[in-house]
Amino acid sequence: MKTAEAPIEAALRQRVTVGFVVAVLLTGFMGLLAWRTKQVASNESDLVAHTYSVIGTLEATFQHLMEVENSARAFALTGMEPLLAHYKDVRATVAQDQEKLLHLTADNPDQQRRLNVLEPQVRGALQFAESIVVKRSQMHAAPSANEVLEAEKLTDAVRATIQEMKAEETHLLSQRTQKASAGRRLTSFIMVVGMLVGTGLLALARLAVNREIDIGAQARAQISILNAELEQRVEQRTAALQAEITERKAALRELADQKFALDQHAIVAVTDVQGTITYVNDRFCTISQYSTDELIGQNHRILNSGHHPKEFFQKMYHSIANGQVWHGEIKNRAKDGSIYWVDATIVPTLSTEGKPRQYVAIRTDITERKLAEEGLAGQALELLTQAEELASSRQALETQTLMLQSVLNSMAEGLVAADEQGKFVLWNPAAEKILGMGAAELAVQEWSEHYGLFRSDKVTPFPTDQLPLARAIHGEVTTTEMFVRNRELAEGAWIEASGGPRKNKEGLVCGGVVAFRDITQRKVDEQEIQELNEKLEQRVAERTIQLETANKELEAFSYSVSHDLRAPLRHISGFSKLLREEFGSTLDPHAQHYLERIQTGTQEMGLLVDELLNLARVGRQALNRQPTRLNSIVAEVVTILQPEIEGRNVEWVIADLPVVDCDPVLVKQIFQNLLANALKFTRPRVGTDGSAPVGTTAPFLQTVIEVGYTDEGGQPVLIVRDNGVGFNMKYVDKLFGVFQRLHRTEEFEGTGIGLATVQRIVHKHGGRVWAEGELDKGAAFYFTLSVGKQVQWKSNGATAGGRL
Amino acid sequence: MNPTELDILLVEDNQDDVDLALHALRREKLANNIFVARDGEEALDFLFCRGAFAHRAFDQPPKLVLLDLKLPKVDGMEVLKQVKSDPRTKTIPVVIMTSSKEERDLMSGYNLGANSYIQKPVDFDQFRETVKNVGLYWLVTNQPVPAKALRAPERLTSVVSRVQVT
Repeated sequence: MKTAEAPIEAALRQRVTVGFVVAVLLTGFMGLLAWRTKQVASNESDLVAHTYSVIGTLEATFQHLMEVENSARAFALTGMEPLLAHYKDVRATVAQDQEKLLHLTADNPDQQRRLNVLEPQVRGALQFAESIVVKRSQMHAAPSANEVLEAEKLTDAVRATIQEMKAEETHLLSQRTQKASAGRRLTSFIMVVGMLVGTGLLALARLAVNREIDIGAQARAQISILNAELEQRVEQRTAALQAEITERKAALRELADQKFALDQHAIVAVTDVQGTITYVNDRFCTISQYSTDELIGQNHRILNSGHHPKEFFQKMYHSIANGQVWHGEIKNRAKDGSIYWVDATIVPTLSTEGKPRQYVAIRTDITERKLAEEGLAGQALELLTQAEELASSRQALETQTLMLQSVLNSMAEGLVAADEQGKFVLWNPAAEKILGMGAAELAVQEWSEHYGLFRSDKVTPFPTDQLPLARAIHGEVTTTEMFVRNRELAEGAWIEASGGPRKNKEGLVCGGVVAFRDITQRKVDEQEIQELNEKLEQRVAERTIQLETANKELEAFSYSVSHDLRAPLRHISGFSKLLREEFGSTLDPHAQHYLERIQTGTQEMGLLVDELLNLARVGRQALNRQPTRLNSIVAEVVTILQPEIEGRNVEWVIADLPVVDCDPVLVKQIFQNLLANALKFTRPRVGTDGSAPVGTTAPFLQTVIEVGYTDEGGQPVLIVRDNGVGFNMKYVDKLFGVFQRLHRTEEFEGTGIGLATVQRIVHKHGGRVWAEGELDKGAAFYFTLSVGKQVQWKSNGATAGGRL
Repeated sequence: MNPTELDILLVEDNQDDVDLALHALRREKLANNIFVARDGEEALDFLFCRGAFAHRAFDQPPKLVLLDLKLPKVDGMEVLKQVKSDPRTKTIPVVIMTSSKEERDLMSGYNLGANSYIQKPVDFDQFRETVKNVGLYWLVTNQPVPAKALRAPERLTSVVSRVQVT
């Protein structure tokens, strides 16, 4: 429709356009013409006005000149000052008029020429007027008649010229007015014609335009319909799109959810067709121990455990490369080298051409299952072995059970076991024999009454909750004695029962066991022993009293010995001495000698008494033990003995002795006796064969007395050794006996009490004393001051005996 | 020397001992003024100026008492106890001279205030030496309590009329 219409429309449009253009041109031309006409008319009227202006000015110039003449003349005649002033004003105006004329006629050369004529004429007239004015002013003379004539002449000349000029101007005016009217007529004609042509053209244009408007309206209607159609289709399309978008959003959301779910469950990875990893989820990283960065861009070979043969992976790639979903189990190696198994599904994502675009691999950790499978075979074997072992152990168990049964049956101790409710589950024959009764269905509270169990007083029923078996059920381990008397055991019996809990393999108490034995005989024995003990204690007490009495008597005896025995000795000594002193001169030598013997006897007796007293005192005195430096004691004793070694060559060899816990007073006595002995038996002496005394200068008589000690199992053994006469070891037993002597008094004085005292002191300390010697080679005395093992044992034995 | 002044009171029951002691003292010229009491009672009467010795005065005590312990009637310890517990007599030096060397006798002797304790040696030479030393020390070396400090306000005028010397 458009195409068919187009040429018509184009032609139409062409015509309309041409018509329009012609009309516009015409109108433009008429406008121009009107403007031109107006312009010309205006010029004409200007020129007319100009002409009138020139004429006026000419007339004014003449008029003013006339006035100058007249005022000058009047002044010259009257000499009145106002006239002079007016003359001057008008004269100035004339000058101005001349200027104006010059200006107005500038375009007209003819008039300029005439002006040039006029100008000197005017000037002459003015000069003349001036001259009369000056004459009047200076000479107060009125113009002469000549002068007036002269003036008339001048004025006439001016008038003629101005007339001439006025005529010229009037001529010009008429010329111009004619030209102007002719132009106006032509213009009017052209304008009428133009207007007619324009109107025609407009009418034509109107027709064309109307037609055009009709065509446009039709087209607009058509467009409107098409628009509506189009909008409807756009709306439909928009709605469809929106629906699609909503749908897609929902689908995307769902997809995201599903991906989340998948990520939570599965190990997911995406690779491109080359097998390069492009995506891994967190679970993939966790199980493989690689980070995302370490995996992206890598090939799955990074995880290859080497377990599967090459063909396995070739097959897999073959399947997925052909767009098929692959499913299988793969053994992988994690970053730390550990192995893990996955159940994998690899889905190729296809491009529009149907070729794989990428591969999505979804895996599940099945390591545990695979390991279990791997372990299963081994377990089966193990199970078989265990079954065999079980069979053999069952056999062993049966043997053991039989053995246990035999043991239970033959053992002398009663054995009873109960479960946690107190129901007896074991009761061996010995138990029945000892208690006189077998197992019975009883509550725990009835046990004591049923079996006749009593406290040690034989009459108080044993509290059932205190019975070893009852306590054993509660997890306690106890041992107790009780008395049993029931209808089967009329005599009654003592038993000692030990109970302890039975525990199951979880270590929980599931009952109790009690073992008991008949201790009746032991009880009888104990009773006897106790009675004997009581008797013994009584006897000990009696004996102690006897001993104490004896001791007191001994003390009294010692006291009297010391006091009463010494007194007569003193008297004998005193009086024999006085006898010798006062009457010696009158006595013969024999008598004197006897007196001397008496003297010696009393001295010996005194010594004897003293030493005996000493010995007795040692026995009585309480031991006062304290840490004692033996070296100090030895030093003291050596000092005390100093008078004895005067004139002798004695070498003391005293070791660094230990500090010993002992009674220092008594131990000093020991050293005193032993060292005194050592000095005594190293003295120069007569030979054993009765030969003469050996000289003191003999080298072998260098006396060496040694005090030292040795350590015997942590106990110091003190030694006093000399290089004196020594003794024969066959008499060693007699050494420490009271009044026992190994030498004759003539050889070595002594009471035979010293070593006995030493022995008593040592024994009092719980120690031992012994001696070693060889005739003529010296003697050594050994002693200890603390309780040795033997003595310790003796002490314990004594205590135990006391209790028995 | 003042004849009324008494040097030594010897308390000894055994005549032998008395003889030997006096012999020893005499030899040392210490036996000029000695009174011998033969038992504890006599010794106490003498020292407390009573009975047969009522004429004695407290302000003229012996310079030394040599006291045996084993005495008839009143034993030496009792004598010592009474002497040392009475303010009038407690300043008198008492030297125990006895055969006993028992610890308990030593302890009681010193506890009761004995000024010295001597065991009589069996050997006579030693005995003499001991007696000599004791006599010299107490009678010569030692400074006794001043007599005027002993005087009671009612001064007794009676004096020892006789000094028994054997």
